[in-house]
Amino acid sequence: MKPNLLPLCLLFVLSLTGCTDQCKETRTYRRYVPVTLSLREIREGVRTEEVRPLEKPGKIYTKGGYLFINELKEGIHLIDNRNPSAPRPVAFLRIPGNGDMAIRNNILYADSYMDLVAFDISNPAQPREVSRVQSVFPSGQFEGGSWSINPQSVMLSDQRVEYVTETIKTDCEGGGASQWVGCPNCDVVRFSSQSGSAAPIAASTAPNSNGTAGSMARFALYSDFLYTVGQTDMQLFNVQDAANPVAQARINLGWGIETIFPYKDKLFIGSQTGMHIYDNANPASPVRLSTFQHARVCDPVAVHDNIAYVTLRNGTQCGGFTNQLDVIDITSLTSPRLLRSYPMQNPHGLGIDFPNLFICEGEFGLKTFDARSALAVKQLQHLTSMHAYDVIPLTGTLLVIGRDGLYQFDYTNPGQLTQLSKIPVNRPY
Amino acid sequence: MNKLLFSLVWLAPLFATGQTAPFKPVFTNMTEFGGLFGQVRYGTPFTESVDKRVNLTAQTFNGVQLRPRLAVGGTVGVDWYNTAMITPVCASVRYDISRPSPTRDTQKNLRIFTSLDTGWGFTWLNEDPSGYKTSGGWVVSPGIGFRIGKPTNTNFILSLSYKRQEANAEKPLSWNELAKHETRVYNRMAFRIGLAF
Repeated sequence: MKPNLLPLCLLFVLSLTGCTDQCKETRTYRRYVPVTLSLREIREGVRTEEVRPLEKPGKIYTKGGYLFINELKEGIHLIDNRNPSAPRPVAFLRIPGNGDMAIRNNILYADSYMDLVAFDISNPAQPREVSRVQSVFPSGQFEGGSWSINPQSVMLSDQRVEYVTETIKTDCEGGGASQWVGCPNCDVVRFSSQSGSAAPIAASTAPNSNGTAGSMARFALYSDFLYTVGQTDMQLFNVQDAANPVAQARINLGWGIETIFPYKDKLFIGSQTGMHIYDNANPASPVRLSTFQHARVCDPVAVHDNIAYVTLRNGTQCGGFTNQLDVIDITSLTSPRLLRSYPMQNPHGLGIDFPNLFICEGEFGLKTFDARSALAVKQLQHLTSMHAYDVIPLTGTLLVIGRDGLYQFDYTNPGQLTQLSKIPVNRPY
Repeated sequence: MNKLLFSLVWLAPLFATGQTAPFKPVFTNMTEFGGLFGQVRYGTPFTESVDKRVNLTAQTFNGVQLRPRLAVGGTVGVDWYNTAMITPVCASVRYDISRPSPTRDTQKNLRIFTSLDTGWGFTWLNEDPSGYKTSGGWVVSPGIGFRIGKPTNTNFILSLSYKRQEANAEKPLSWNELAKHETRVYNRMAFRIGLAF
C-alpha cells in the first residue's frame, strides 16, 4: 500500500466503526421493598448493643458532654464527647424506626415508628427504657420510604431501602428538563443543627436542662412540653414528669412540615413553602401568628434575637431553583420582613453562635460568616475540602456532619477553624 | 564594522544552504466550518433506539508553516452538540502528503493534506439548564483534506476528519436518587469547507 493512502484507509475504518456516540449514565438510587413488621417485634427490638460504625447518620444531638447521633431508622450512637479531640463511642442504643430525639435532664425521648419511648440515660453506656407512649404516631417516612400502622392487625407496613447503582446507555441528550417528582422526602430530617433557640448545655440554673438540638429538628422541648412535628401536624407531650411523657393535643399545621424549634415563647416551624411562627405563651396550646412565605425549597432556619436566618436550597428532594440565605427581621412576629438575600451554592444546615454564622454548603463545603450586621453578612472562611450537611456550634466547638464523617472544629478564631477530630462514616453507597 | 556583521548575519542562511534559497517560516491560517455526522444507540436491550446526529462545527487553525509541507500551531473551534457547546483548544499539525496527479505538478492547484488536532474541549460557552453541570474532556481529531488553489494564493479547502470528544455531565437528581452522572464520548465524522492562506 502506498503510504499516502494510509490516512484514507484509516479514516474509512474509523467511519465504519467509530461514528457512534457512546454515552453512559450511572445513577445510584433508592429502591423500596415493602416489609411488614409486627408492633410487638418493634417494641421488643429496643436494646443496648456494642458500638458500631456510623453508616447512615441522621440527627445529631448533644447534652452534658455526650453526643447522640441517630443512625437512620436503626437507633442512636452514644458518644462520650467530653474531650472533642478524642470522642469515644460508648454504646449503640437500638431503637427500631428511630429518627428523632430530645433530652431533658437524664431522660432521652426517641421515636420508634409509632411509639414515643423514654430512656433513662443516667449511665449513657447503659440506657434503660422507662416508659413508652404507644401508637401515638400513625405514619411517617424514612429516606422517602413511608411506613404506616394498622391498629386492627397490630402490624406496621414499612418500606426497606436498598441502594442500587446502574448504568444505562443514553442518547447524550442529558440537558433536558428536570424531572422533579414531588418533594416527599424533604421532611425526612437527616441532620440537626443548632439554632439560637437551643438551650445551652450548661443550663444548670434552669429547673430542667435540655440538650442541644437545632434548626432541622422535629422534636423540641419547651416548658413542660415536648413538641413533635409530623408532615402535617404537631403532637404535644406533657413531660412535667420527665420519665412519664403523656400525649396531649395534636395540632394541624398544614402541608410539608419539616422542622420545629422554640425560641423564647415562640415556635418556629419550617415547612417546604415557608416559615410558620406560633405564639407559645400558653405552651399547651400554641397559636399561629404568621407565615413567611418563600419558594418551594428546603429551608432550615436559625434565629438570633430579632433576626431569623433561613437557607433555601434546591436539589434532590427539595424542588425549587433557589440557593440563598434569607435574613429576616422578625421584630414584628406577625409580619416578618425580608432584610436581604445572599446567594449561596447549595446551603443545607446552618447554625449561629452570634456573631458567628456557620452554613453547610453540601458538596461545596462549610462557610463561616460574621453576622454582626444583618445587612452585611461577611464570609470569613470557606472550607472546600469536605462535604458538609449540618452544624452545631457549641461554645467554641463546631460539630459538622458530612457525607464522610462527623468533624469537630475549634472556632475560637472563626476565620481559621482548627479541626479537632473526625468520626468517619461508612456509607452503604 | 557593524554594517559588515549585519550583512553576514543576513547572508548566513544562504551560505548554510548553498545556492538554494531557504524556506522562510510563515504564518498560516486554515478556517473551516461544517458538520459533525454520527449516530447514537441508546436504551436498554429491550427498548433500544438509534438516532442520527448532525451538528455544526467551526474551527480556525493558526500556525507556522515550518517546512513547505509541514505546519504546526493551534486550533480553536466551537462544536454545537445538541446539549453541549464545546470549545476545543488543540495543538495541531498540518502536513501535505502528495498531489493527486504528478502530471499536474505544474498547476500546483490541488494538494492533499492531513491534519491531527488534539487537546481539551472546554465548556466556556455552554449554558447548562438548572441542576446540570457539563464539563469537557479530551479531544482528538485526525483528518484529511484537499487544498484547491495555488500555494501562493488563498486556498479553498475541503476536509474530512474523525473527531472523538469526551465530556461529562452531572445531572439533577429526582427524589429517590443519590447520584447521577453521564460520561459522553462524541464520535463523529466531520466534513468541513473553508479557506486557507
